[in-house]
Amino acid sequence: MASELVPLLLSGGLFATVAAALASRKVSNSLIALFYTSMVLGVTFTFYGDALLGLLTMITFAGAISVLLLSVVLITGESKLDLGARKLALAAVPLAALIGALAAAMVFSGQAGGQETADTSFGVLAFLWTLRPWDLLILVTVFGAAMLSVISLLGGED
Amino acid sequence: MASDQAILLVTGTALLFVGIASTAVSKNLMKSIMSFQVAVFGANLALFASGLGFGSRLVSDTFVALSILVGASVEAVGLAIVVVVYRRYHTLNPDEIRRLRR
Repeated sequence: MASELVPLLLSGGLFATVAAALASRKVSNSLIALFYTSMVLGVTFTFYGDALLGLLTMITFAGAISVLLLSVVLITGESKLDLGARKLALAAVPLAALIGALAAAMVFSGQAGGQETADTSFGVLAFLWTLRPWDLLILVTVFGAAMLSVISLLGGED
Repeated sequence: MASDQAILLVTGTALLFVGIASTAVSKNLMKSIMSFQVAVFGANLALFASGLGFGSRLVSDTFVALSILVGASVEAVGLAIVVVVYRRYHTLNPDEIRRLRR
């Protein structure tokens, strides 16, 4: 039962963020909820041992596509973000803190590296298969900065 | 692992169909693009979950990576079309755009 808790939690997170994205009337709220969906999907891939796909999902969808969507939202003028949505965006802070704490715990417990998966037969690309906590910390910092940019860009329209 | 695979497969399939349905009924082109992204997420998760039960996941991982890149490219092209349509018709409602084209 305990082993089924994690996939259920991840699935619940995916459904909750997707429901928030599709049910929201404002496009800017949908954009922020979709950002969280990308993050949860990336965490799901990473949790099941595929750090490459997790990073690819986060970089592609939570990074590039979110910026594209944000640009189009700003171009089309549907960028009103009220205080409730700003609180939704600020919910990224505890998520980032949780991931950062997990990464720090991995660093201090000496689990950095993931050597058992590094010796696959992919040669120079093998580093992509290893989940290194400091890379994760840098990623969290970048995502935090991106979310602050979203808040300042969309929040200034009111 | 089998139950994990089943849960993730069901979740991915549900997201895929929710995304497709929402893309079809949405009255805003931006929301349609976002619904398409949800469908891509569902497809990626279902593809990933299909490879969880086997020893080597190289095939499913390759398909997921391909799906991510193709989905992102399609979405970028769709967003470019949305911007062009908005500049021409000043609306994102498909019914309104269809009416204005006549």
